[in-house]
Amino acid sequence: MVKRQKVTRGYRIFQVVNAVVLTGVVVVTLYPFLNIVARSFSDHANVVAGKVNLLPKGFNLKAYEEVVSDSLFWTNYRNTLFYTFTATVIAIVLTTCYAYVLSKPQLKGRGLLVGIAVFTMFFSGGLIPNYILVTSLGLKNSVWAIALPNAISVFNLLVMKAFFESLPSELEEAAAVDGLSTYGILWRIVLPLSKAIVATMVLFYAVSFWNSWFSAFLYMDKQELWPVTVYLRNLIAGATSTAFGGNAVTEGAEALQVGATVKAVAIVLTTLPILLVYPFIQRYFVSGVMLGAVKG
Amino acid sequence: MAYQPSRRQVLAAAAGLVALGLAGCGGDDSNESSDLEGKRVGAMEKYGVGDQFKATEALTFSVLYNNHPNYPLKTDWLFWSELTKRTNIKLDPVAVPLSDYEQKRSVLIGAGDAPLIIPKTYHPAENSYVSSGAILPVSDYLDLMPNFKEKIEKWKLQPEIDTLRQADGKFYLLPGVHEKPWADYSLAVRTDILQQLNLQIPKTWDEVYTMLKAMKQAYPALYPFSDRWSKPTPGGPLFGQLGAAWGAPGGWTYQHATWDADAKKYFYTGASDKYKGWVEYLAKLVAEKLMDPESFTQDDDIARQKLANGKSFVISSNAQTLVNDYRKDLAATNPAAKLVKIPQPIGPMGEINPASRLENGIMISTKAKDSKNFVAMMQFIDWLWYSDEGQVFARLGVEGTTMVKGASGQPELSPNVDMVGLHPQAPKHLQKDFGFGNGVFAYGGKPELVQAFFSSEEKEFQAVMNARKQPVFVTPPPAPFTDEEREQATLWETGLKDYVFQQTLKFILGQRPLSEWDAYVTELKSKNMDQYMELVQKAYDRYQKEHG
Repeated sequence: MVKRQKVTRGYRIFQVVNAVVLTGVVVVTLYPFLNIVARSFSDHANVVAGKVNLLPKGFNLKAYEEVVSDSLFWTNYRNTLFYTFTATVIAIVLTTCYAYVLSKPQLKGRGLLVGIAVFTMFFSGGLIPNYILVTSLGLKNSVWAIALPNAISVFNLLVMKAFFESLPSELEEAAAVDGLSTYGILWRIVLPLSKAIVATMVLFYAVSFWNSWFSAFLYMDKQELWPVTVYLRNLIAGATSTAFGGNAVTEGAEALQVGATVKAVAIVLTTLPILLVYPFIQRYFVSGVMLGAVKG
Repeated sequence: MAYQPSRRQVLAAAAGLVALGLAGCGGDDSNESSDLEGKRVGAMEKYGVGDQFKATEALTFSVLYNNHPNYPLKTDWLFWSELTKRTNIKLDPVAVPLSDYEQKRSVLIGAGDAPLIIPKTYHPAENSYVSSGAILPVSDYLDLMPNFKEKIEKWKLQPEIDTLRQADGKFYLLPGVHEKPWADYSLAVRTDILQQLNLQIPKTWDEVYTMLKAMKQAYPALYPFSDRWSKPTPGGPLFGQLGAAWGAPGGWTYQHATWDADAKKYFYTGASDKYKGWVEYLAKLVAEKLMDPESFTQDDDIARQKLANGKSFVISSNAQTLVNDYRKDLAATNPAAKLVKIPQPIGPMGEINPASRLENGIMISTKAKDSKNFVAMMQFIDWLWYSDEGQVFARLGVEGTTMVKGASGQPELSPNVDMVGLHPQAPKHLQKDFGFGNGVFAYGGKPELVQAFFSSEEKEFQAVMNARKQPVFVTPPPAPFTDEEREQATLWETGLKDYVFQQTLKFILGQRPLSEWDAYVTELKSKNMDQYMELVQKAYDRYQKEHG
């Protein structure tokens, strides 16, 4: 197949259609985000009048100044970084260990261990039992409440297990013959060969921890402990729920005047870092998942 | 993604678990008010109306705190320190984001981990916790709350309070109480257009129709009335006030059963002729293209944009959105525009003010009762939420710092402090910098106090509305369900409500002719409407017999 394949007419049409459709998908995906970015730089009047599309109208940085000067925003932001980092590290270590063990066919009780993991995909104790468990373990108001209950995602675990199973066992046997211990094999042989899957898992976990708000909302009783997602949610969803609750007489004195531009700024600042991570991990992402999936 | 159940799931789960897990613990709680031996630590020996509450020793109570994004909780607020100074009580807030307050409240109560004081609860949210025994039947302990009792008596609030009662004749929620009802929502109208068309501000719904008609004539290309607050409940405030004007409120204030004082009976709201009356009215507006058919489905922002861009002239409004949203928008897009919130137009019910005098209130965890400081806590709650001094303190703060006395000795906001844009030049903000005027602690009160932050035009609006009388359907006689009945009723209600709301829209939008109204009522019957009303009647009769 060294010879260049002749490009047929049909193939060219296919490519054009492909390009058009995919460009459409790109536009649909990018537009909302660009619109939010444009709003964040626009002045309030243009935003409420619905005049801002792709480019800012009445360019200014006032909303940025407002958000940046809110110390709570930065406290929460720092929390998000910390929670994401800690939780991802824990999740990666635990998932890797579990998956590696499960990938060994000679392991006794392997079926049971897989079963335990898969069981949790179909059945969970439910919200309040979980809450009581976490609370009575004394994890409340600490990063452990976020990191530990979500440390192993069964889906990620199974993907990783499939990947490890695809590694040639001869490599490990050779390493064993040369005198490496079990942990040595994992650390020196298996993991260096598994950068792709580990990077993918880091991405999966980091994104999910970055985006998550629910466990923090549930287990954190002080606003200084909230991640920025809760801050953002309160800012945005709060506006709607007050308008609704407003039929009861209370809210009168509590103007919920979160400017549309401020919302946009908070969204931009919150999503930007995690978006920036994607391009760098993307290359592992494709090869990593494919390897596991095809050979598993 | 982490596990993120919907709010509905969580509520259902929480309520269910509460019921399951704790059902055994409920039961006999009669005679408890006399059984306060050993629970008076820190309480005042003699505490009555006009007394400043001060605990005899320093105490701390936990409180669920609804954290508002506009004034996030600060521990150095004057509110906390001054409160401790005056009452010897320290509050320990459990901060919950406002966006998901109800959800966390459910989980905390369900898990038995709730703070002692649980404010910002809107009736009937407390119903789901009653059977579990997790919250206190506060009506048993009113003797500890002299200010609350006095306000009920002086302001003749008993009929309103009775609407909170459960099947056991007790109530579980201490509501915020107003001396006068506070109608917040009405229509905002572009008065510069009225002037241009030589029209008066409409007083009745018929005049609203005439006005819209004239607007349409002058501007045939647009819909003069395009409304908002339609998500998740279509026509939230509009169906409410329009329905009230006809005697059968819809939207946010929809109740399945409405009280008919003449017949001394409940009737099913969504099937009544009164309900049909306003639906017909709106259908006419839509059919004659006076009202934007998108009113009932569009996002608030879209409705706002239409108004801001002169594509509509009338919209639902409350005092806040008028000043903060619409006028600000219009000032940017069309400085010549004038927008006014008109007194609620009058319908067949005559001059009424359908607003309730109760607002969101406080639940108390049953755990509090076991505390040796129980009496002190009740006295404290009574002082902070129900005494005149406590109410002024919570709303306006400390004299000389955030509050000044006006010419008539009336407490007013200090000119050095801003609130809802009253003193825009002031360096500090009442809520953000001092923690007063906080929705968690400032409920109700005398009209002067409630209106302390109102502009003069809003006060005028209130004066007009307060001159009107309260319609009977606001204070229906109690007809509380038992637990089993409520379970059954909730099942029926869900189906009925969905159907009523859906068909209401179809009638209004002209997708279903009003000539099919009778067929619609028959369809409601097939959804157990009659059985439901029998249940209501049974509950009413039983309550009359046992507690009436």
